[in-house]
Amino acid sequence: MKEKVRLRDIGSFSVFVLPSLFVFSAVLLAPMLYGVYLTFTDYNPIHGASNFVGFQNYREALTDTVFFRQLGITIRYVIFSTILSNLVAFILAYLLTSKIRLKGLARTGFFTPNLIGGIVLGFIWRLIFSNVLTVLGQQFDIGILSTSFLTHPDRAIHALIIVTVWQYAGYLMIIYMAGFMSIPKDVQEAASIDRATGLRKVFSITIPLMVPSFIICLFITISRTFMTYDLNLSLTGGDPFGSSRLATMHIFQMAFQGGRFAVGQAQAMILFVVVAVIAVSQVLLAKRFEVES
Amino acid sequence: MKKVILLVSAVVMMIVLLAACSDDGNGESVQQPGTTPQEAGNAEETQDTAAQPQDGETVTITFFNTSAEINDVFEEMFARYNELNPNVIVELIPTGIGGGQQEQLQALYAGGNAPTILNVDPVNVIEYAVHLAEFTQENSPWLWTYGAEGVVEAGTFDGRVLGAPWSVQGFGLLYNVRVVNEIFGGNFDRNTINTQDALRDFLETVEAAGVAGTLLHGANWSMGAHFLSLAYALQGTASSDGINFLYSLMDGTQNIEDCPIWRGLMDTFRMLVEHNYNRNDPLVANYDQDVLAFGEGRSATMFMGDWAWSVMGGFQGVDQEYGFLPVPWSNNPNDYGNTQIVMVIPKLNAVDASRSTPEQRQAAFDFLGWMHTDPEGQQFLLDAGFFMPFTNVRDDIEYNSMVQATAWYADQGRTINFGVFDYISADVWIETGNLMLQYMSGFITRDQLAEGINSYWRAQQ
Repeated sequence: MKEKVRLRDIGSFSVFVLPSLFVFSAVLLAPMLYGVYLTFTDYNPIHGASNFVGFQNYREALTDTVFFRQLGITIRYVIFSTILSNLVAFILAYLLTSKIRLKGLARTGFFTPNLIGGIVLGFIWRLIFSNVLTVLGQQFDIGILSTSFLTHPDRAIHALIIVTVWQYAGYLMIIYMAGFMSIPKDVQEAASIDRATGLRKVFSITIPLMVPSFIICLFITISRTFMTYDLNLSLTGGDPFGSSRLATMHIFQMAFQGGRFAVGQAQAMILFVVVAVIAVSQVLLAKRFEVES
Repeated sequence: MKKVILLVSAVVMMIVLLAACSDDGNGESVQQPGTTPQEAGNAEETQDTAAQPQDGETVTITFFNTSAEINDVFEEMFARYNELNPNVIVELIPTGIGGGQQEQLQALYAGGNAPTILNVDPVNVIEYAVHLAEFTQENSPWLWTYGAEGVVEAGTFDGRVLGAPWSVQGFGLLYNVRVVNEIFGGNFDRNTINTQDALRDFLETVEAAGVAGTLLHGANWSMGAHFLSLAYALQGTASSDGINFLYSLMDGTQNIEDCPIWRGLMDTFRMLVEHNYNRNDPLVANYDQDVLAFGEGRSATMFMGDWAWSVMGGFQGVDQEYGFLPVPWSNNPNDYGNTQIVMVIPKLNAVDASRSTPEQRQAAFDFLGWMHTDPEGQQFLLDAGFFMPFTNVRDDIEYNSMVQATAWYADQGRTINFGVFDYISADVWIETGNLMLQYMSGFITRDQLAEGINSYWRAQQ
């Protein structure tokens, strides 16, 4: 009898888990492990054959000062994008769950940017920054707008952050709205009875109860913005003169155009570790602030 | 615990399964249609045995194209070739304009799906040399019979003929003939611009008339691959002069700032930057907008090549007549470069030997012979506005004015040998071009520019 149950377990395991496990291994795990292997070789896609070189690639990756400069720029980009997009999303969600008109339309409007792919989004905003805002700036004599945002090293990063916030805020807004709606009414009412109003309620009741939403949203923005490539490529292309090249683009440049594939791959592993450490420690830290309603 | 063991063993099984499916590199799993594994494996050794496809057997060859702007032209050409030669099918592997081309080719090679014919930059032919078949008088007699002077040499690397060029392009300071004639009262002579002083007078006269003196396209390819590379090419009339100069930068025996040609060119560059149409926002680098501004006469000159016609030709209401001026780097009219413009071979056709059968290779050489030297094959590229370096090209072709301007210099032998272009990879022009852009927009000084260029080349040893 016991034997039969076990067989049935294995059967259902095979039916339900194996297909997804196969896909997971094929498209994620195997390439990842192969990637790790490549960092210890002198692999090059043109010549194929590779020799074991130990930690040589990591040594080169770690002495590449440009990579760390770009990583610094990336971290700055991630910090600002994460804070701003979550702030905007939270405020939008707060407004759209309160009693205002045309909520449905506004919700759709704010969510739409997220449905547009990064490449298209980049081209649309490139046009706006270079051709629309500059014309406005020249017409109305606004100094900062009269030249393109994309041709100055600092402003190009700002442009990237603006578009990222625009892209993610609508998506995060949906998660925050779900968070708002899941807060039990009785807690709110109890707070009202205790004469808590406006901001007091937000900071003492709403925010503590929404920590799970914050954890999810912060994790999403941190991990995604670290990996930004499409938007970077189509909006600034790393320009002007490589100043807005995020870490992923530097890795791509190193591997495919610089012809140093294995070094680029080693830098990708370093980036992976950095992102993993930051994202996981953020989740663990934030969990401490979770409260039960 | 049991569950974990089960899961781990399942994952290991998957990976083993995947590893077993992958190509082990001997070419068997990517064997071309119509070959036995032995044939595929022996392809490398038997590469020069010219074998004609036998009657009734269809040979399929692929054509990897990085001249993305004319993907359509190639498709029409291949269809016509198939009509003439029903047993040969040429398939296009298109790429997009701009990025992604190198990666696509790398992926094809890494995945064991090397294309039969490559239409790529000369620098790629050097990179892929070990995989390529040699052009010989036996398999490609047309290259020697009809190739114009220097054509065979342009595709020769380490003594092996690995590439065949099919177009020649020129670049320098394009000028708008209407605008310049209006300002100079109809009697402008391009021969007069042969020194820096003459160029300065020209730019100042043009600006005094209310037109921007020049237009610099603020992109790293234009500034890095073209403007800065002039300093390498002008080292001497032979390709090796420029290449040896690069080697001396790499091994540190030469610093770029010690080279008078580079210093002179940078003086000229500063002069151009001061008269740049885009001087308020020099890094916008919108190619279409820049070409349009030049075509509409808002700037008198533009540092660009005759390929600008492919965009200019599509605009309405722009001028049609253009000429070239040199980019003088000194005040001696006899210095090399002060009266010449650059001639460059932008693309080479090469034939892969690593994954193709002898039949496919010969079909590829025959097809290239038709495309490069048969009147019907040539017509496709002539219609697309290309200047072809073969002696049997029709002489009644009406080229656009930019190509005519290139030909005007070529006819007089007033060209700069740009063989050094073979060493200007995408990485070179992105990195050194970015330095030029920083210098252009005032973010770094000339000393910092020189230091940046030196350290870039030092790292390339």
